[in-house]
Amino acid sequence: MSTKKIVIDPITRIEGHLRIEVEIDENNVVTEAWASGQLFRGIETILKGRDPRDSGLIAQRICGVCTNVHYRASISAVEAAYGIEIPHNAEIIRNLVTLSLFVQDHIVHYYHLHSLDFVDITSALSADCAQAAEDAQIWCEHPYRNSDGHLEAIKEKLEGFVKAGRLGLFANGYWGHETYRLSPEENLVHMNHYLEALRIQRELSKAVAIFAGKTPHPQNLVVGGVTSVADMLNPQRLNDFLFIIKETRDFIERAYIPDMLMIVNAYRDSIKAGEGRAVGNFMCCGGYRAGKEQQLFENGVIKGHNFENIAPFDSSKITEEASRSWYENDAPLSPYEGETTPFYTDLNEDGSLKTEGKYTWIKAPRYEGEVMEVGPLARMIVGYIKNSPVIRPYMERFMKRSHMELIDFSTTIGRNAARAVEAQICCDYLFDTMSDLIENIKYYDETTWTKYVFEELPSEARGAGIFEVPRGVLGHFVRIEDAKIANYQAVVPTTWNASPKGAKEGRGAYEESLIGIKLADPSAPLEVLRAVHSFDPCLACAVHVIDATGKELAHYKVASECML
Amino acid sequence: MRIVIVGGGIAAVYIANTLMESAPESEIVIVSDEKHPPYDRIHLCKLVEDCTCVDSIELELHPKVKLELDQKIISIDPAQKRVFSEHAAFHYDKLIIATGSVPKTLFDISGIKNAATFRSQKDCEAIAKGMVGKNVIIVGAGPIALELLDTLMRSDAPQSITLLVRKNYLYSEVISREGLELIRGIFEADSRVSIRFGDQIVDKEVEGNVITKVLTKQGEIDNPFIIFGVGIDPNIPYARDLLECDKGILVNERMRTSDENIYCVGEAAQLREGGFIAGRVKECTIQADVAIANLLGTESKIFKEEVSIDGLKVGSFLFADVTATDFNPKDSENETILITHGDRIDQYIVNNDRLKRFIGINTNIDLLALKRLIETDAPIDAAYLYSNRLMSEYGKLVCSCEGVHELELVDIIRENAVTSFAELKEHSKAGRTCGRCKQDICAIISATPVDPAEAARLKQEKLDAAAAAELAKVRARIDKYNTLHPKNQLNPENFHEALESFEMSREFNRWVSMITASMHLHPQFEGVVEEGVTQLNKIPIIWLELSDCTGNSEAFIKTSHPKVDDLILKYISLDYHELLMAASGDQSESALESILHNDSGKYVLIVEGAVPLGMDGKFLRIGPKGETGVDLLRRVAKNAAAVIAVGSCAYDGGVVAAAPNPTGAVGVAEALDRSDIINLPGCPTNPINIVGTLLQYIMFDEFPKLDSKNRPEWAYGFRVHDNCERRGHYDADEFVREWGDEGAKKGWCLFEMGCKGPYADLNCSLVKFNEGTSWPVQAGHGCFGCGQGKIAFDQYANNRKLPEGENEH
Repeated sequence: MSTKKIVIDPITRIEGHLRIEVEIDENNVVTEAWASGQLFRGIETILKGRDPRDSGLIAQRICGVCTNVHYRASISAVEAAYGIEIPHNAEIIRNLVTLSLFVQDHIVHYYHLHSLDFVDITSALSADCAQAAEDAQIWCEHPYRNSDGHLEAIKEKLEGFVKAGRLGLFANGYWGHETYRLSPEENLVHMNHYLEALRIQRELSKAVAIFAGKTPHPQNLVVGGVTSVADMLNPQRLNDFLFIIKETRDFIERAYIPDMLMIVNAYRDSIKAGEGRAVGNFMCCGGYRAGKEQQLFENGVIKGHNFENIAPFDSSKITEEASRSWYENDAPLSPYEGETTPFYTDLNEDGSLKTEGKYTWIKAPRYEGEVMEVGPLARMIVGYIKNSPVIRPYMERFMKRSHMELIDFSTTIGRNAARAVEAQICCDYLFDTMSDLIENIKYYDETTWTKYVFEELPSEARGAGIFEVPRGVLGHFVRIEDAKIANYQAVVPTTWNASPKGAKEGRGAYEESLIGIKLADPSAPLEVLRAVHSFDPCLACAVHVIDATGKELAHYKVASECML
Repeated sequence: MRIVIVGGGIAAVYIANTLMESAPESEIVIVSDEKHPPYDRIHLCKLVEDCTCVDSIELELHPKVKLELDQKIISIDPAQKRVFSEHAAFHYDKLIIATGSVPKTLFDISGIKNAATFRSQKDCEAIAKGMVGKNVIIVGAGPIALELLDTLMRSDAPQSITLLVRKNYLYSEVISREGLELIRGIFEADSRVSIRFGDQIVDKEVEGNVITKVLTKQGEIDNPFIIFGVGIDPNIPYARDLLECDKGILVNERMRTSDENIYCVGEAAQLREGGFIAGRVKECTIQADVAIANLLGTESKIFKEEVSIDGLKVGSFLFADVTATDFNPKDSENETILITHGDRIDQYIVNNDRLKRFIGINTNIDLLALKRLIETDAPIDAAYLYSNRLMSEYGKLVCSCEGVHELELVDIIRENAVTSFAELKEHSKAGRTCGRCKQDICAIISATPVDPAEAARLKQEKLDAAAAAELAKVRARIDKYNTLHPKNQLNPENFHEALESFEMSREFNRWVSMITASMHLHPQFEGVVEEGVTQLNKIPIIWLELSDCTGNSEAFIKTSHPKVDDLILKYISLDYHELLMAASGDQSESALESILHNDSGKYVLIVEGAVPLGMDGKFLRIGPKGETGVDLLRRVAKNAAAVIAVGSCAYDGGVVAAAPNPTGAVGVAEALDRSDIINLPGCPTNPINIVGTLLQYIMFDEFPKLDSKNRPEWAYGFRVHDNCERRGHYDADEFVREWGDEGAKKGWCLFEMGCKGPYADLNCSLVKFNEGTSWPVQAGHGCFGCGQGKIAFDQYANNRKLPEGENEH
């Protein structure tokens, strides 16, 4: 058999935090894959020996994109260690910020980082605008900004862009690739929303900043609560926040969801073929309560797509191992005991990964020793199965309108669909959360901080801050000795999804999702991009396709964001 | 930091005041052996005339400087960092010695009533009292002796005054015969005065503590009062055994002594290469600046002796003296060129056609022009000097320290309606360095009539002219760019077309106004800023991400005015910034190579993230060949027109370099070992500061004015605290004391909750984040000085007040 050694190298000269190498066979089908992180910064090492109250400001620098969630998880881990319960108001403020980030993140991910894998801008230029306006109504009764006149104007604008030259937004070299399925009219409708989403995401950044001071790298948390009490008590600020969320909800319902229905319809064969499906192990930790009973996400663990059998999530079953990662001590360890001592075994002479041994800075987190997929897909599946009153109705509605079954979500396209549904849920849930806050303030609860005397807290303690965040389950684990941080480990969603192989064979989710994908044209591996993108990889990476002799056939940039 | 200055003269005061400006959090102590607060020795003569007027020559000292008087230093303990006086011990973190010199005498005069030196207020008192009815003998021929002679002549008290000159010249051995005769004639016009050349004291008769008779080579003088003006010795007995000394305390070119925490300036200091500077206040202040810069670690300045300009006003004549640093009076190749006209004598000393010294008496030559002539080391010929009087178009030089001419002063006085020396302060430093010319300046001020209306008109005229000139420069710059980058993909019309497509013209206009204001430019620059924006795409820009969290890119593209910034960034960096590029089939590696190759020397490199140097740089590998981050940085930076380090990590390693710095991370400047890297620290950096810096580069062909840390002053010249919206509460003592308390609800000051605004210099409080939505202080958290670099993450990133004594940065 003539296996072609293809290296898909996501690293460009400019930046490259993630690299993927794959092997394809003579039919251009991927048979093996390796995902590798190429940067080590040692934030966990830096945290050791510091005052536990100070961990948040350092830990949030783990990532400039998911910055709020690291900040929160770090401070929550310390609160958990000390048994400090934060006031209800503080929890609400934290939730308002985190959930706004969910919505912003999902919108930016889909439209600005991912949609051009499906939408051909050059095709949109030949659209019939009246027809496009009509076609849009197939997916939504009142599509977002959908008059022929407006679409006509959008089309002119796009022509302007193309005339203007190399506009980065649309610098996709694969226009005309045979796997672009949308009609010119559908492409135009998508591009219309692409432009609107630019404005929406900016507004959402402002919403985050209202309670968090700034973004990225907010500054509104302390151990015991939040500091933005003056903003909380200012009705104008609450109103500004709600106004932005209201506008966003309108956009999600009339643009994001209908666009997703359109994509599902166009790529139904890919869904049914299971393209981009990973191992089928899903994990959620649940969370985000509103009111007394309600919570946004359910917890649960599913293995091998066995939807009948769902186990409760138990954080003590998480271990991290480093047998294939550039650290000392290969053995699986609890994150409380986890070690971060680099042991770098380098690359091969030609710069390729030593795929037989250690090959990445990303550790291999395991749950009961097994690889897990985390993120919106996991949350939607678990919520659906557990009959969550918050999640199930939205999922049912989407499944009905899209004619999808639950298993169909575990695909490249399905991951995106799950993310869109989640954005809609989070947006609506923000209203519930805000009502909760207003209710609380109305009854004269203005507390935002739980008082404690640091010197009287135990000098030895351990705790974890485990949250669902846009890309999946995030855990910060802190162990305190002599009132200082003795050990610190962050297990981030991208660590789960971009995990390398472990001591036992078993690929990480990115790696697994690539197996079996057939490339229509190995020099333009759009299918690989779509699969990797569908996870919303939290790192900026690029994909190169290089043949066995080292000749580069093509390279892609997978534009997305951060990692550890 | 506690900085102790030993000494009580001009140098000590200058150092203290300058330190208060550049390191206002430091504790500064002056330890002086005098009873009086520091005064200006240049004007000592005034004290001889009126001993009680010491207040009038007192030097202006910053009120926060602590003054320890009547403390004569007797020893130093460098190991414990203490200095000792007879009564006290002073701890220091850094010590600056400025004890100057002590006058020489020819025999021991301690205990003798009718002999004195001329150095302190005490000396003046002794002279004024002692000379009454006496035959005064001044020993010496130098500037000090002459000035003293001039002063005593104005008093009726002495019966006679004899100037004992061991050799045969006055002022300087190189003075011309004509000059010497002129001076001598003027002095000896007073019948009480006799100048005796080739004479010296050989013996004396003493009764008790009084010298009754002085025997000189040429005769004897009864009933004498003797004043020595024969020279000086560095005043350093307390330091002789503790620091490396020769004649003075030995210092290197950074003014540091053999102990790393002790600096020495002025007449006590002896440069290991170069020797002493004596009696030259301007040089002394330059030495002080060098010492301060090195002591604070803000700059690594070195001292280099300059061509000196000295002036001396004696009675009815005026000396001017310009001397090259390498002037050697004994050099046999020195030639004198003399141009005389009445009582004006211009004496040029030339060596091998190079001007080495100029001594003018009552001259009107432009001394600054002569200084330049010496500095350029250009050959001159006598004919040139004869035919060119080198007169300054601004009249004679009044203040040689600051280089201010008479007519320039008159202009300043008129334009600003100055009516007193005090009012002049904010417009000119003239008369404030050595103070010698203060009286002359006061005379010019009182002789210049001012009209406030006219002053306002003149000022406006000048401002308009300057603005018009700058505007013209900017337009020329933009035209130049148009021709420089023909391969630019987008002309301004298309840019506007693109703006239109985002329906952002209105927003764009607003944004331009805001950027213009943020950069502290006059509103009339708005048009130019707008043009600058449309030109941004013409500079190739490479944005490298190294050991980072993508936060700066995120901030730049997502939050503040993303529509416009997004566009701009895409225009300028389309092929070179990974995060901004959607999936692309373009070969970005070869795109980078092509910029490196085709636009060598033209592209601007922006770097985000720290540079890990540990493990040979392998904590970060980039590209299919696994190039390390530092290798890539070096390669790309090599031919960049400019390198901008964005964010605190790129500045000095930031959070990545926080203790224990596991990856050996450093900032861009250190990794490249270059001092010309422009730093825009912040975590993240406010996008306005990035765009503003680039705009300035385009409009003015230069980067904005930078501070000592290479940060643009327009963005980093503010303390967060000074412009904070909660500042009023700080001043009113209204503090948040506990999270969520009443103060927190009312937005009171967060200083007690560990806000580090007082230690942070950045414009956050002025521009805020996310389109002015908020900033950390508004969110009730307080500032942690994220833009100060790694120190922020090791010392400031917490909610506690800094411990005492750790508040400097």
